[in-house]
Amino acid sequence: MIGAPTGPKRHYKCPWCGQAGEGTELTCPACGASVDVREVVTDSGWVELPGIKDMARLQFGRSYCQIEGKYVPVADVNLSAEDSVYFAHHLLLWKEPQVDLSAMSLKGAWKRLFAGMPLVMTQARGPGHIAFSRDEPGEMVAVPLHPGQAADVREHCFLVGTGQVSYDWFQTGIWFQTGTGNDRETHYPLGMFMDRFFCQQAPGLLLLHSAGNCFVRTLGPGQTILIKPTALLFKDPTVQMQLHIEQPGGYSSSFWSSWTMRYLWLRLFGPGRVAVQSAFKHMEDNGRYVSGHSGATIHQW
Amino acid sequence: MKVCPTCNHQYAEGDGNFCVRDGTPLVAAAQPPAAPPHSPATPLQAPPQAAVPQGAVPSVPGQMAGPQPQPGGQGGPIAGAANQFGNLQQGAGQQMPQPRAAAGAPLERLKCDWCQGTNESTALACRYCGAPLDIKNLVSDSGWREAPRIRDMTEIHFGRSTCQVEGEIVPVAEISLGQGDSVFFEHHVLLWKDDRTPMTVMPLQGGMKRALAGMPFIVSLAHGPGRVAFSRDATGELVVMPLHPGMEVDVREHAFLLASHHIGYSYVRIKGLRNILFGGQGMFMDRFVTGNESGLLILHGYGNVFERRLNPGESIILEPGAFLYKDASVTMNVETQKLSAGFFGGTGMNLARMTGPGRVGIQSMYVHHKTD
Repeated sequence: MIGAPTGPKRHYKCPWCGQAGEGTELTCPACGASVDVREVVTDSGWVELPGIKDMARLQFGRSYCQIEGKYVPVADVNLSAEDSVYFAHHLLLWKEPQVDLSAMSLKGAWKRLFAGMPLVMTQARGPGHIAFSRDEPGEMVAVPLHPGQAADVREHCFLVGTGQVSYDWFQTGIWFQTGTGNDRETHYPLGMFMDRFFCQQAPGLLLLHSAGNCFVRTLGPGQTILIKPTALLFKDPTVQMQLHIEQPGGYSSSFWSSWTMRYLWLRLFGPGRVAVQSAFKHMEDNGRYVSGHSGATIHQW
Repeated sequence: MKVCPTCNHQYAEGDGNFCVRDGTPLVAAAQPPAAPPHSPATPLQAPPQAAVPQGAVPSVPGQMAGPQPQPGGQGGPIAGAANQFGNLQQGAGQQMPQPRAAAGAPLERLKCDWCQGTNESTALACRYCGAPLDIKNLVSDSGWREAPRIRDMTEIHFGRSTCQVEGEIVPVAEISLGQGDSVFFEHHVLLWKDDRTPMTVMPLQGGMKRALAGMPFIVSLAHGPGRVAFSRDATGELVVMPLHPGMEVDVREHAFLLASHHIGYSYVRIKGLRNILFGGQGMFMDRFVTGNESGLLILHGYGNVFERRLNPGESIILEPGAFLYKDASVTMNVETQKLSAGFFGGTGMNLARMTGPGRVGIQSMYVHHKTD
């Protein structure tokens, strides 16, 4: 158990989550980042996620979570009787029989059903152990949320949230259409919806699963960057999004339209944090003429 | 007669002053050097606690299981190493009198926590399962133990053959088969083989049932001498399980990579319609049984692999797609957890209840299956 430091002899602030402490533990009790390990920053300014050590413990409320494994890490949560966590039901790996499961109803079930998002969040109450993992190699990303703080997470990247974290969702507003008339198709490169997690009064913990490696950078006000839409892992709510399309000149000819050489980008505007995952999903694009879009910018080479 | 104090290899007087294997200066043999605990040609003898998993005491949560190697792990006596042969040291790292080794070097051995095999005190990895001997076991507070991460190029010995584990993300098991040895495997896991390595087909019973259940209709055999290598198609870990005589292990279908010919292979039908339909692993499980001889079984687990020992009557509830292996004494039953969402009906979670006694192995990158 990690108690509040009394009379700290040394002030240590976790560079990943900002948790202050003495830095006497091997890992940050709030996010699991290794203590006293220098940040790995690329020349372009991306900070590599500080890997969570095997068996590191993350504290939340009266409970803690232990991260186990290297390739497909497991979040093993030891829930106290007062605490709860919620998750999409397919993420459950194992649980002790005494851990109680129930459904957490969500608003807008009809829209979620059509968008392919989970209809119900499952809530687990302590005491007991319950563990979660995803079905692809990657990293566990711990996002401790302080009161008043929020994070927007791309759909299906969320693993588990603690009871102190509220859950909501919103429309991404990133789409484009191909074809006309009855042949018209609407595409959502980022998905129709994004998850929004926020803490109102008590601090909470959000665990995400990054496919491959996770990199983070903080955009300054007005600063922009283009990323693959499916590479987005999470962002601060202050970061705005816009669709950007790039394609070779003469693309609209019948010859080029048989190729899907179009680049679909997500333009992110600062200020705020942006996190990407290195193993992004392939985006379906039929390569046909774009007949409508959500205020996208289009650039031809 | 001279002997290498490191590997106990014997040399004649005219053979030089250094061991050709490890370069250690030879010493005069004061007594016949101790035989290794079990040579590659000699089957591994089952320690009682390994051969009878039922009722074994689980790892204490929050503690490292088993004896802990000394810092550095580069040889020296190991505190608390178990004595399998009556002439090993016991106790808290003290040099105890050797009742059966009156002269010569003390016979220090390292016991592998994973497979219970005994190794030379200088070994960095277990000879029989490849588990590193110089690093701590990783046991979670809830009692799950991580399968040992086998170092790249580690060699594992069985019968007259060796298995070298190559790579770490999608590891390859490269088998150098000795004369008279053979391994069996499903044909789609074969990565490469020597041109001259003989292959045959293993006769199986119930071919029609297996074909209908989606299990391999044909299991192939590769015979020594020759080399053959195996891997699967996803990130994961190799789980090396030396099976001692009298053991029975059930394995998720298609999860086994290879097994030595000393092991009997059959399959068990999963009982209960609910277990078949919602258990996430079809109608059958592979069952591996050893008779009087030891054998080597190698599995491939997706993601990371964890093992837990259940006491009699103790239960744990799993995502069915996470199940990898279990002792035959562990029972499995699928339970449905309904999660209602009012008008939309909600969803159902099918979970597998595993009840001890025995070991249960899971994989963290589970095989996803549909729920209703």
